[in-house]
Amino acid sequence: MILHPGMLALLAASLIIAAMALGGAGLGYQILRRWDPTSGSELQLILERRTTLVSTLLAWAFGLEFLSLFLFAGVADSLHSQFVGAMCAAGVLNASATGYPLLILKMANVLLAGSWLIVNHADTRATDYPLIRAKYVTLLVAAPLLIAEAVLLVLFAGALKPHVITSCCGSLFSSQTETMVGEMAPFPFRPMAIVFLVSLGAVLAAGWHTWKTAKGGILLALLSFAAFIVVLASILSWVGPYVYELPTHHCPFCLLQREYHFIGYPLYGLLFAATVSGMGAGILVPAKRKPSLKMIVPGLQRSCAAASVVLYGLLFLLIAALVATSNLKLL
Amino acid sequence: MIELRDVTKIYNRSRANEFVALRNVSFGVPERAVTVLKGPSGSGKTTLLTLMGAMARPTSGRVLLSGREITSLPERFLAGIRRSTFGFVFQQLNLIRGLSALENVLIPAYPTDASYASIRGRGRELLARMNVSHREHERVERLSGGEAQRVAIARALINDPQAVIADEPTAHLDTKLSREFMEIVAAMKQDGRTLIIASHDPIVYESPVVDAVLPLRDGMIAEEHR
Amino acid sequence: MALLERQRRLLDFTLSSLLRRKGKNGALVAVYALTIFLLASVLFFGESLRREASIILADAPSLVVQRMMAGRHELIPDSYADQVRSIRGVRSVKPRLWGYYYDPLSGANYTIVTSEERKNGTIAIGSGVASTRKLAVDDVLPLRASKGDTMLFTVAEVLSEESALASADLMIVTPADFREFFAMPAGFATDLIVDSGNPRECSTIAEKIAIRLPDTRPIVREEILRTYDAIFGLRSGMVLAVLACAVIAFLIFAWDKATGLSAEERAEIGILKAVGWDTSDVLLMKFWEGTVISVTAFLAGTALAYAHVFLAGASLFEPALKGWSVIYPAFRPTPVFDPAQIVTIFFLTVVPYIAVTVVPVWRAATIDPDAVMRT
Ligand SMILES: Nc1ncnc2c1ncn2[C@@H]1O[C@H](COP(=O)(O)OP(=O)(O)OP(=O)(O)O)[C@@H](O)[C@H]1O
Ligand SMILES: [Mg+2]
Repeated sequence: MILHPGMLALLAASLIIAAMALGGAGLGYQILRRWDPTSGSELQLILERRTTLVSTLLAWAFGLEFLSLFLFAGVADSLHSQFVGAMCAAGVLNASATGYPLLILKMANVLLAGSWLIVNHADTRATDYPLIRAKYVTLLVAAPLLIAEAVLLVLFAGALKPHVITSCCGSLFSSQTETMVGEMAPFPFRPMAIVFLVSLGAVLAAGWHTWKTAKGGILLALLSFAAFIVVLASILSWVGPYVYELPTHHCPFCLLQREYHFIGYPLYGLLFAATVSGMGAGILVPAKRKPSLKMIVPGLQRSCAAASVVLYGLLFLLIAALVATSNLKLL
Repeated sequence: MIELRDVTKIYNRSRANEFVALRNVSFGVPERAVTVLKGPSGSGKTTLLTLMGAMARPTSGRVLLSGREITSLPERFLAGIRRSTFGFVFQQLNLIRGLSALENVLIPAYPTDASYASIRGRGRELLARMNVSHREHERVERLSGGEAQRVAIARALINDPQAVIADEPTAHLDTKLSREFMEIVAAMKQDGRTLIIASHDPIVYESPVVDAVLPLRDGMIAEEHR
Repeated sequence: MALLERQRRLLDFTLSSLLRRKGKNGALVAVYALTIFLLASVLFFGESLRREASIILADAPSLVVQRMMAGRHELIPDSYADQVRSIRGVRSVKPRLWGYYYDPLSGANYTIVTSEERKNGTIAIGSGVASTRKLAVDDVLPLRASKGDTMLFTVAEVLSEESALASADLMIVTPADFREFFAMPAGFATDLIVDSGNPRECSTIAEKIAIRLPDTRPIVREEILRTYDAIFGLRSGMVLAVLACAVIAFLIFAWDKATGLSAEERAEIGILKAVGWDTSDVLLMKFWEGTVISVTAFLAGTALAYAHVFLAGASLFEPALKGWSVIYPAFRPTPVFDPAQIVTIFFLTVVPYIAVTVVPVWRAATIDPDAVMRT
């Protein structure tokens, strides 16, 4: 167990998120069981008021989840000096078997949380709580994931022992290693850059279309998710090397360090925000079937699409600027 | 403009202290007119006002506002309706102590999208119309009873509501101030507003500006109204 | 824009209602800021100590060999240096002379090291030595040698303070003066510095030395750095665990304040709801209230902690965290500003504060709108 202040902060945040999610899911379950919109009873009024509590709790929990993803990356990065062989977060995460599963679960939870908030927002715009069932059933599924995340974090913190010898980005993300990430990492620069341009072009075009017409939400969602993966792979393949000005250095974590002006934070922040907005446009499609939402959903889809266009556009500009200012020439 | 159909309100239902405050009340409030709810203490006047003013939901029955059913709307929509359609003058006035007269007047306009300059201008104009301009920046607890009530009326009018709801407005006023209040009521009616007043004060229900009187007794309408 | 305007108006209203209840909110902000101050002081201080240590160690050799006898550090014969030199991968080996000198006048322990570049009879001293003995360049410093006689040194230089911890207690003399002063036999050194050329091979070389010269102890710098890091992390971690109690006490206080709304505050929220504010508007107002309180407390707490640690030398708990020799009363941590620490403090104070106030705030915001009709 490493008693690092940042780790304590992370544990506190994670426990708070888990508690809020648990509370929200518990309230959600009660609401689902006794919900009766036709009744003028005081109980129904109490339940309706509780929905605002659930919304508030989860808005906080999910906002925190987003922030804590970055705190997690930052803490993992700053712990690297305590492990033999670790030069950045890559090595620290590798120092325990739970490190990478935890990171992936956290990323998934952020995407899930963002989508839930979008659905919740749609629900509060209508006069008859049309999505209440869908919303709280999803919550009952999501809460265990958030709790699992807290548990994994506790295990991760507990398993970290100073002097553990770990391997870091140099070997984890290079073509010489047999690890899965190792094999994924060095996609050849040129093809990967082309895939990147095609994927971002497609998502921007789909976003523009949905923005203007409120149609094609599902396509936009799929393309957003694809772009998410493609951008992550591109960071491994060529964005990282451009930033480090080293064709052989493929680490996705060193970007978070001071030497590189903490550029990883805006980069990943934009990526997650853009992906969530793009996915929102698709997740809202089934909601259009509800009569009370028919007039509301297209407007929300257009806002989501507009946000995704702006955010993916900024992401593209950021990456372009990184490439343009780099002294490295790969392509 | 407001219609109640078979409305019943039961407090503390299925508990020992269950109390039926309104029983099967059906009634329509005429638009651009002054309606007075009259009845002894405990007859359900305030309860009826809260239902008409979108502050509470009936236990059963329906409430329609300009033909639209608002009975089972979520609270956040009721708040929107309250804010944009109704102005309230409470029996205890309920001004917020420590704030100035003008700040009190602006409170219902805070959650709207109007610009600050425009609501401020409107607030000052209303205070001028109520003849309390000179006390604009005075804290409300330093105002006299009559001044405070006129500030409360200005607050009710800040969002330019269709209807003004007043509960026992003359209970704390002497005869002269009560008559002045009825003049303000006449002026509001002149502006095309609907007024709903709960009162057992003859100065109110016998006033010539009143168009309809609804007598309540034990949660029911007592007799045909005139 | 309309949305921003609305937020601004709610913020305005919040500020004026906070000011109307100065006493209650002032007490909350004070306790809040105190909690943040304690936490931030510990974190700032721990981090600056850690940096001091890494500055010291950055100049330290990557591999040092000491001779041990009966579990204690012994003088190492020059012949050992030749043996080490013959190991593959070793580029050079240098014997090093250093030691401690107890100064009865100031009651302090000084560290004496040697340098070939100085002249016999002269000495360079750290700022701590200079200030306790009130010395300047060209002054003469008499020191009592091992044999009981007094040796006179001329102060040639007062070392600059890049790192206060590193050089405050330092004295630098020539090897010849050193041997004479401590009466150290020729052919022996305090320890050996090994240069391997490639730092990655340090641990392999260290292993070989341990096998070839079983009575020695090789010390790898990376190893020391990690131990330091772990110790500092653990120390400040333990202090943090203690501080957690302070944070929890504050949270209970904050929760109590948020739950126990006065009748007046409840009436006010009731009025707002009655005249057309929605639950979400009240929640938003309360959100701004929490933000104003948190930001005020956070700025005050961290600014005070910064001043305390970096300007006042962490006078409140220096004795608890440090424990070095008496020479360091003038220890001034080098100011560092680390965004990660600010974020950490935020997560350990503001986030829990929000968490404990969510439910009470919601309760307050869901007062029946018709409640004020019946007062
Ligand atoms: N929240 C409540 N819980 C229980 N009973 C209530 C509640 N509110 C009102 N009542 C009861 O309902 C009845 C009608 O109350 P209401 O306030 O509507 O009467 P009213 O006609 O306005 O009387 P008054 O002239 O005294 O203001 C009263 O007997 C009152 O005690
Ligand atoms: Mg009454």
